[in-house]
Amino acid sequence: MIDQHWTAEDVERFADGEASPDERHLRECVRCANAVLAAAHMKAAIRGAMDVGPAPASLRARLTQRRSTFAPWWIAAAAVLAAIVVLVPFLRRNPALPELVDMHVTIVGSANPVDVISTDRHTVKPWFEGRVPFAVPVPDLASTPFRLIGGRVVYWQGNQAAYLLIGKAAHRISLFVFRLENAPKNLGPSPPAVSTLSWQDDGLLFVAVADVPSGDLVALRDAFTRQRSEVSP
Amino acid sequence: MEDGRERQSFEELAMPLLDSLYRYARWLTRNPTEAEDLVQEAYLKGLRGFGGFNPGSNIKAWMFRILRNTFLTSRSGLRAVPPEPLDEEIADGSTPESHFLQRADADALRRAIEELPVEFREVLLLSDVEEMSYKEIAEALSIPIGTVTSRLMRARQKVRKAFSGRK
Repeated sequence: MIDQHWTAEDVERFADGEASPDERHLRECVRCANAVLAAAHMKAAIRGAMDVGPAPASLRARLTQRRSTFAPWWIAAAAVLAAIVVLVPFLRRNPALPELVDMHVTIVGSANPVDVISTDRHTVKPWFEGRVPFAVPVPDLASTPFRLIGGRVVYWQGNQAAYLLIGKAAHRISLFVFRLENAPKNLGPSPPAVSTLSWQDDGLLFVAVADVPSGDLVALRDAFTRQRSEVSP
Repeated sequence: MEDGRERQSFEELAMPLLDSLYRYARWLTRNPTEAEDLVQEAYLKGLRGFGGFNPGSNIKAWMFRILRNTFLTSRSGLRAVPPEPLDEEIADGSTPESHFLQRADADALRRAIEELPVEFREVLLLSDVEEMSYKEIAEALSIPIGTVTSRLMRARQKVRKAFSGRK
């Protein structure tokens, strides 16, 4: 074995650091030792020829700028939650509607607007059990232009409230549901550019916020109140 | 999440590979602008697929494979795939490497490599520049190790021939 000349492949494998025949042959054989040396030189020459230098700084900047999109969604969600918690004391004295509109914009614009995603009211309604201290009415919207997208828990002045995300064509409607004793006391006037509608029903305060005509919100309210009178517990 | 150890983030693992990935992209596309776009797309794909990356496996081979697949499905990649016809044999095919070395100047060598089909350019880069093992190269290119070996041998043979033919 030691006496046998290496094949061209043996030589290159050796130069590449891969498994190869017994090296002792190289000490005995000038021909094979030269071949190995030449292969190593060729590797070095190719390495030099193929070097293109470091990646451009502009590319590096582009990639690290994307860091914000690298952040997992829950960091963004936690930031929103922290902002809401910090803002709570300020909300106490101020009209509530502008804040609810801000929450609507924040939630609707979020990558994960709802925690329970379901068009099925029989999924969404029980999901709220134990998460908010009241039964959340979720009507059957099948015969209406609205569709249920999902829900989540939101906080108002430290108390849980229910949030339902409802779709109408491409529009998104936020429906906040508060227990009356923990509901915002002063809603204030509706901010421009959005429609809002609030109503009370069975000890709950409903506040709908959306960029749809206010007539649509009236239809939504009717769907909620009609449903409750039909299905009594 | 999966065990006690903190899982390294995608950025921590992938950003140190930027120069290598850019170099690979340059040699795949032969165009600096396309190379930058390719690298950027590969990073985005890597980030998106990072959940499926097994922390014990080789991030370099993994990222190279993503970049390569991204290239192959791009417009210029699809153009590059049909291998160019084999070079006509050159009379003095068996130029000893010592001669080759004497004549080797980096610019001419670079031009010779640039003219090789992409599957030869990439094995030269991965082996000679990135110093990846045959196993790692096989993983990055999704081909058997035996194919890595033979492709590498042929690539170097082609460089030697092209280079001696040029002179």
